[in-house]
Amino acid sequence: MSSSTAMTAMNLRFQKDSLCMQDPRQNLAVEIDALHKWYGAFHVLKGIDLRVAHGSRIVICGPSGSGKSTLIRCLNGLEAYRQGTIMLDGTRLGEDAVQTALARRQTGMVFQNFNLFPHLSVLANCTLALRRVAGMARTEAEALAHHYLEKVRIPEQAHKYPAQLSGGQQQRVAIARALCMSPRLMLFDEPTSALDPEMIREVLDVMTELAHDGMTMICVTHEMGFAREVADEVVFMDQGSIVEQAVPATFFSAPSHPRARNFLSTLLH
Amino acid sequence: MSMFDIWSGILGGFRITASVTLYGLIFAVPFALVFGVAQYLTTGFARFLVTSVIEFWRSSAVVILLFVFYYALPVVGVTLSAMTVGAMVLGLNTAGYASQAVRAGLQALDRGQKEAGQALGLSRAAILLLIELPQALRAMSPTFINLVIQLVKATSLVSLITLTDMTFRAKEIAQVEYDPVPVYLALLLSYFMVCYPIALFGRWVERSVNPVREASRGI
Repeated sequence: MSSSTAMTAMNLRFQKDSLCMQDPRQNLAVEIDALHKWYGAFHVLKGIDLRVAHGSRIVICGPSGSGKSTLIRCLNGLEAYRQGTIMLDGTRLGEDAVQTALARRQTGMVFQNFNLFPHLSVLANCTLALRRVAGMARTEAEALAHHYLEKVRIPEQAHKYPAQLSGGQQQRVAIARALCMSPRLMLFDEPTSALDPEMIREVLDVMTELAHDGMTMICVTHEMGFAREVADEVVFMDQGSIVEQAVPATFFSAPSHPRARNFLSTLLH
Repeated sequence: MSMFDIWSGILGGFRITASVTLYGLIFAVPFALVFGVAQYLTTGFARFLVTSVIEFWRSSAVVILLFVFYYALPVVGVTLSAMTVGAMVLGLNTAGYASQAVRAGLQALDRGQKEAGQALGLSRAAILLLIELPQALRAMSPTFINLVIQLVKATSLVSLITLTDMTFRAKEIAQVEYDPVPVYLALLLSYFMVCYPIALFGRWVERSVNPVREASRGI
């Protein structure tokens, strides 16, 4: 089978999947209401409300310990929450295991430490979930994986192992791996924080391109250049609350909250 | 009796030593995998039960278990062959240790591995079988080879329950010859000759299951 027929078969399959569900455009991509979470006695999320429309790009920033990673990890069920609701595309997360699994399948996650599977080749990293979760045939899965590896500009590394790649390449593989599952929402948890400065650019370029393709993205990042260029909205968190939420132009030129001002000034100097 | 005669006499017991080792592994490998994984996954009372079984086999003296299973069980009507008792007791004792290596290997993995699997929508079983175990078992392969070598040496105890392994043969020869020094020297060498190739095999296994580490070292 040629790779283009495999791709068409893939597209048909995903179109059929989405037809079975209600029209996604009627719902917001993400709707968070009064979300609370505790780690033991530590109140890490204190009543988060956040709405994310389909196709929008949200950058979440804030000092460490502000709860931004916890928030994004709640969005695909990696962390359980105590109070409040999270709706992903109209499906309530955490209501029951089947719904959560479905919601999770529509969400791709990119981690700070890449979390590639070191015992599998780049290609196998990308095809593992396609074959075991989506039940796709090998050739079909590999065609799709090659497609996304090309998208992140490392098709030539498909048969190498993660340890043989640079950090930037590994993170791009991680992005391709997440994209393979055709997510409607991509979550990025500080995707460039573990990278050397010269590798940050190549990862941000891939993310920017993804944003231009219309992917709904929520990124926890301190890359303010990326936020300025790509984000529809910047969310600033501090001590478990969202203290400021604004379009980048406003956020960077005239942050209203003193803690946001303080945070920006420490980033710039 | 020449050194060669002594030696070939001892090697006459090699078949038993090898059999106990291999049958022992048939007990050891599944037990170590199942109980190591179970201890890793379970909590509360289930974990207590799993740990109890592991601790029974790990913390009991092998010699005493051999005697109990071979000489005491027939009293209550359970008769097992010496080979079965030897393989089971030695195998499960080794498996007690190995289960801890399995658990340690799983626990040592970065939490991100499991999370990446979850984020991709893989089931818990798929994460265990496709992501966690392959990495844990590779990392633990030197420990497993260690335990196989230990098992080979521990088989010398089956001479106490009538099996004519290398140690049993050596004892016989020493009694006939009235000269234990060359006999036990030959026995020492015999065990070394069995175990050292296993160690070499282990190094080869380690190299071949970790191609990535080798390759990345070259960069």
